[in-house]
Amino acid sequence: MNTQLDFKRGIRTTLFILVVILFLTVVLLPIYYIFLTAFAPSGKLFTVPLTYVPRSLAVERFQDIFGALPIARYMLNSTMLATLSTVLALTVSLLAAYAIARLDFPGANLVMVGLLASSMLPGTATVIPLFQMYQSLNLMDTLLGLLILYGSALLPITTWVLVSFLRQVPVEIEDAAKVDGASFFPLLWRIVLPVIRPGIATMFLINFIIGWNEFFTPLIFARGAGVKVITMALSEAQVIGARSEFDVSWGNMSAVAILTTIPVFIITLIFQRQIVEGITSGVFK
Amino acid sequence: MASTDAGHRQLITDHSPLTTGVLPLFGQQNLSTRRILLAWLLVTPVVLWRLLTFYISFFDNSPVRRTFDFVGLDNYIALTRDSNVDATLTFTLFFTVTSVILQVVFGLAIAELLNQRFRMRNLTRAVNLLPWAMAPIVIATAARWIFHQDYGLINDIIWRLSGERPLWLVNFTTARFAVTITDVWKNTAFLSVIFLSGLQGIPLELYEAAKIDGADGVRSYWYVTLPLLMPLIISMIIFTAIFRVLSFEIVYALTNGGPGTATSLLSYLVYLEGFRVLNFGYASAIAMLLFFIVLLVGVLGYGFLRRAWERL
Repeated sequence: MNTQLDFKRGIRTTLFILVVILFLTVVLLPIYYIFLTAFAPSGKLFTVPLTYVPRSLAVERFQDIFGALPIARYMLNSTMLATLSTVLALTVSLLAAYAIARLDFPGANLVMVGLLASSMLPGTATVIPLFQMYQSLNLMDTLLGLLILYGSALLPITTWVLVSFLRQVPVEIEDAAKVDGASFFPLLWRIVLPVIRPGIATMFLINFIIGWNEFFTPLIFARGAGVKVITMALSEAQVIGARSEFDVSWGNMSAVAILTTIPVFIITLIFQRQIVEGITSGVFK
Repeated sequence: MASTDAGHRQLITDHSPLTTGVLPLFGQQNLSTRRILLAWLLVTPVVLWRLLTFYISFFDNSPVRRTFDFVGLDNYIALTRDSNVDATLTFTLFFTVTSVILQVVFGLAIAELLNQRFRMRNLTRAVNLLPWAMAPIVIATAARWIFHQDYGLINDIIWRLSGERPLWLVNFTTARFAVTITDVWKNTAFLSVIFLSGLQGIPLELYEAAKIDGADGVRSYWYVTLPLLMPLIISMIIFTAIFRVLSFEIVYALTNGGPGTATSLLSYLVYLEGFRVLNFGYASAIAMLLFFIVLLVGVLGYGFLRRAWERL
């Protein structure tokens, strides 16, 4: 009897481990394949069947793309836009979130719904009037212009999440500070900010990732090399040294893919818990 | 079943994060005129852009031909006769329905997997997030290489198993599945994280009660877990469906909407008409169509959500 039970449990455990391994393979194998392609020595890229364990790795693709494209400039632009738009969105959102969570003004919930609705209708539905307006305001091809677009895209979700964080924090501390005569901005800076620091940190990480990954906005609004971002280098790297339309350099593309992905992977692996908290608190609470 | 017991239902509606979700916001009733006015004032900036797009859609507006002529409904009439629009709507429907179903099913399965206790669970949870963190454009561009006929990862595996090398991006049906599979690979992580949080919000007492009633693993999932998750699942279906309709990068980089127009999506069509053909008026009309489809999905979804909520 007992051995039969153990046997049954053994099968279940084995099956479970197999499912976990299958899951990890489905997620990691395509990423590993891009890694292999980026580091394959030339001549070793097109092999049938594929070699999953390479004998040697090479960095020549990276030398090629850094030689042919202003990759460092692109990465700097991506970093600046992602960081500054995150700071901008957090500042504006914190004020709005405080009003919504604490001041209890009529229509606070409707503002939240309006923000949600606007986050659901991004990009293409408004891009044409925006494009024309940017042209007449000379905001095309400027970091400021891009910063405004990036920041406003991040606002709705950031406000949502900060409201949910604020609502979890007891009001008593703030009330005590008010009794002690603290005025609005010192109150916000010294009392509220430290208390919801986890929420701010979480949204900083998520917004940075979203800003770093942005592609549609720069595709339309950033056409000069000085303001281009790293995600735009993918298609540019494919045609380095191309002799025809069909001559696509998958190695160069993969090298850019690796460069674009490494920063967000580092952030995700280190701050997994905070990111999950951010994602879920936008939906719950 | 235990799940319909009044006492337990009370427990859920009071403390579960499921119930304190987005729903109470939609439950607003008896709005005063002042509130409505204020709301409109706040929503105006959001609406204004759509109004501008709406306005431009009545013009023949092209920076190349230097035109800005009022043409009435011509752009909308052209829309109904455009075979590209038909093809785009067909694929939008296929893509949205298939991708949402797969994402919800896999999302629930992965959430269940990540909710079990096992060694390396934290690492597995972190790995699950990796596709979410990657840029859509990176995944779409890399997918073109992964679906490559001769040297791609997918065909290498299929070839080892069956000796075949399907032409993924050349055939209509396989190209559509390639886009859908790529989308599911990237976005299921997001749903699974939310479903996992939903699972963690279900009180353990409910499962114990179900066990006493004789429900085993599968049945307690069917009678306890699923009904409690249902409002969350439905609201996630709405979110996911809307973002499928709005997708851009995936077809821009993976298929260019092809072969022909087999994998064209509305955002991609707006981009083509607006920024390749430079036909702003017509592109605005397509953008309005996109806007109304999203609105329709939202309104229909909200109806379902309300009903699911009342049933709980």
